[in-house]
Amino acid sequence: MKLLIVEDEQGLRESMQEYFTEAGNICETAADYESAMSKVNMYRYDCILLDINLPGGNGISILKNLKANHHSDGILIISAKNSLDDRLEGLDLGADDYLVKPFHLSELRARVMAIIRRKSYNGNNLMTFNEIEIDLQAKGVNVGKTAVKLTRKEFALLLYFIANKGKVVSKNAIAEHLWGDEFDMADNFDFIYSHIKNLRKKLVEAGSNDYIHAAYGMGYKFSD
Amino acid sequence: MRLLTKYNRINLITTVVVMLFTGIIYYQAVSIILTNQVDKDLVVEENEIFEHVRLNHNLPEVYKSDDQQITFSKTIDSVYRRFIDTTFINQEEKEAESGRGLISSVRANNINYQILIVESKVETEYLIRIIFSITIAVILLLVVSLFIINRLTINRLWKPFYVILANLRTFSITDKKGITSVSSNTDEFNELNSTIAAMSSKAKNDYQDLKAFTENASHELLTPIAVINSKLDTLLQTDEFSEPQSKLLGDLYESVSRLTRLNRSMLLLVKIENNLINDDQLANVKEVIETTLAQFSEIYTDKNITVSVHLADKLIRISKSLLEVLLNNLLSNAIRHNQEHGFIDIVLNRHQLVIKNTGKNPALNGDDIFKRFNKSSHSEGTGLGLTISKQICENYGLDLSYTYNDPYHIMTISFKD
Repeated sequence: MKLLIVEDEQGLRESMQEYFTEAGNICETAADYESAMSKVNMYRYDCILLDINLPGGNGISILKNLKANHHSDGILIISAKNSLDDRLEGLDLGADDYLVKPFHLSELRARVMAIIRRKSYNGNNLMTFNEIEIDLQAKGVNVGKTAVKLTRKEFALLLYFIANKGKVVSKNAIAEHLWGDEFDMADNFDFIYSHIKNLRKKLVEAGSNDYIHAAYGMGYKFSD
Repeated sequence: MRLLTKYNRINLITTVVVMLFTGIIYYQAVSIILTNQVDKDLVVEENEIFEHVRLNHNLPEVYKSDDQQITFSKTIDSVYRRFIDTTFINQEEKEAESGRGLISSVRANNINYQILIVESKVETEYLIRIIFSITIAVILLLVVSLFIINRLTINRLWKPFYVILANLRTFSITDKKGITSVSSNTDEFNELNSTIAAMSSKAKNDYQDLKAFTENASHELLTPIAVINSKLDTLLQTDEFSEPQSKLLGDLYESVSRLTRLNRSMLLLVKIENNLINDDQLANVKEVIETTLAQFSEIYTDKNITVSVHLADKLIRISKSLLEVLLNNLLSNAIRHNQEHGFIDIVLNRHQLVIKNTGKNPALNGDDIFKRFNKSSHSEGTGLGLTISKQICENYGLDLSYTYNDPYHIMTISFKD
């Protein structure tokens, strides 16, 4: 998959690039409006991570330019403004999703994967990870021939893990993904533990390998 | 006491006292002058008697007169000449009237006579009475006209003042519009008005600056927080961690996520206070409560909290996202500050929404809890949740209040109709 990260803040840009860099991925970056504009005009990407406030211009103009040229790159807007108007404007102009700073890299990755999935599978709603087969439309999961009955949150959790496979995902990121960032749960992560335990049990009982590993008490890692 | 009443009271009392005082002086002066006049008449009469005695060496005939009586009486003592106030017997009407007399003496045919000349003062007193009545009438007329004029002119004169006062009363520092200027031809009021206008616009500017600062500061903080967050996520991927290291990392994560929430809450609060969220629509409170509860179901189940709900449909015109924030805050408080095996009771009807929960805390101060950064010592919250909730309610004319009825903490939202 080929990504372009347009972000002026060096620290953030590097972290994002590092998080997405792995075998089979091409991850380019642009730090300002000019270089971003020249890159999107020369190359095509699976997904463009676009910051709104850029030195030399506005990310919205880049978005407009892409849409005017009928490029079908996936676009995820990253903004410091959590304003409904901005969100609506971005989505109205054809952005695929909108993420507000600050965010967890795992959340960013889950969103990017969702965009790429929507773009590339083109009506094919099936996704597989080894023996696990997921029907995104029907929200059903099969391990081989066995159907696994998951709750809504367990299903979301499984997708989140698969999007971040091979990465350690913190408990905070999982909690925010599943319950939203409004709810303050800092005093209690036990219910996350029980959710993960349930998901793990259901998958293993259906004959899947145990892919979910606890990582140093801080999070979990989904890997072979 | 109103200024006008106060002024009128002082004014009227002073007027009446001064008028009475001048009335008395006037009365005295007039009566002295008139008595003098009578005395002069008496002296003229006395002189006539003396003249008569000198020429004729006998006493003059005493003839009756309407307003003067002269009597002679023999006396051996020497007579002290003096004026006296006495009574005058009116022969025709057989009435005693007040009179003025002159006692004097004359020697005729070697006999000493005491002369008593008495003149009626009826005319004089009549005159005085008329003068006094006119004076009183003038006082009354003056008092009444002063009262009316004061009332009219002062009301008119102070009108700009009351307009300015009304303007001040409706002044709100958060409002966009300033103090409207009041045109008056009184310098004092113009000065007052311009001073107030200057003061209010300064207060507004300061407030705007402060708000802009809060907003800018929160915005500027977002980027570094985002960097810390992403670096932590990256750090997590790097290596195996020892137990103490992962404990440290966990604490860091927690603090950063609190910082994030705090920052978001501050930005949201600024936005709500500025009325920047205008996506009002008809929203069903019941549906939003149900969605929010479903979202939190794992959490309260995990805490073994029993939740009972009695919800009726209730449509209100509100921004749906703000309604979600509001209910999210109230319900998550009810869950977070609850105890193991506690209770939450939610009742929604046409008039109000009542959220009752058991909790670890004793009764809270109903005024303080809505203030910024007011939170219980062991709370992990931002301390802005209830401030935001209150502000949302205020923006939409809802009333949010807290009461405690052992063992329940009760939050009540009253709808306006």
